Amino acid sequence: MSEGAGSDEEILKGIIGQPTGKSTVVIERGPVSFFADAVLEQSPIYKDPGAAQAVGLANIPAPPTFAFAVENWGKFPELQPTDALKGSPLMTALGPLIAKGGIILHGEQEFVYHRPVVVGDVLVGEGTVVDAYQKESKGKTMTFVVSETTFVDQKSGDPVVTARFNVLHRI
Amino acid sequence: MGEQKLFFEDVKEGDEGPARSHVLTRTDLVRYAGASGDYNPMHHDEVKAKAGGQPSVFGHGMFSMGLLGSAIEDYVGVANLTRYKVRFAKQTWPDEELTTKVQVTAKRTEGGQNLVDLDVRLVNGAGEEKLIGEATAALASKV
Repeated sequence: MSEGAGSDEEILKGIIGQPTGKSTVVIERGPVSFFADAVLEQSPIYKDPGAAQAVGLANIPAPPTFAFAVENWGKFPELQPTDALKGSPLMTALGPLIAKGGIILHGEQEFVYHRPVVVGDVLVGEGTVVDAYQKESKGKTMTFVVSETTFVDQKSGDPVVTARFNVLHRI
Repeated sequence: MGEQKLFFEDVKEGDEGPARSHVLTRTDLVRYAGASGDYNPMHHDEVKAKAGGQPSVFGHGMFSMGLLGSAIEDYVGVANLTRYKVRFAKQTWPDEELTTKVQVTAKRTEGGQNLVDLDVRLVNGAGEEKLIGEATAALASKV
């Protein structure tokens, strides 16, 4: 570990609690159905609004892991907050490590569902770094950064889904 | 609450959901890359994957989590999950047969909800665990 300001430990401590960004995302039918196909969902509820309504849902639901991909689809530029973050605390921590080599791995992923995400929802996601630490394992240095993003319903402000993302660098 | 296909009274600890098996193809990886926006070349570009020291392209962890999620919902019904978590234990490789395992570990009633806790895993043909996780579903009651 290097000495002085900017040691790995200090950088990691410094990013805990830092925001990872805020985004507004629209849940659309095409991407949801395409994603459902891609993860081999078989239920007609992911294709047919009538089948979804027949089980009491307002519209076609998003598959359980769609929240991880949601910013790829419905994050339209005109809906985004103007006070966008410059830079990312994840890259502040992991950037210098990546520069030394090693690999980045997705260690764990968790979702907490407060209600089903359905087509037509507009969600506002806001994330923070909740943990960052280093440990030695089998002679390798592992650096973990855990961030949590909560998506709320834009209309009601009620929480819809919380995604907890654990990424690690190993060298 | 979503699709009602499994009732709380019909579940007991140790019960298993129907297993799903799927042989992973490179087409799965390309389709998932497009659906998710994850264009890390390690998942679709064989040339770059080999140059990076990998034997071939390998699967997105989130594809595996999605596949296992579909098997969980096949058992408990669509849109009933309250929580779903996995650890990505091993990489997945094209031509591996991936099989889901979903087993009930506990039943409880909390905050007026009938909850079922599940141990969820994805394993290959040799029994190697790719995903190790847990999920909780809220089920309808017959009464």
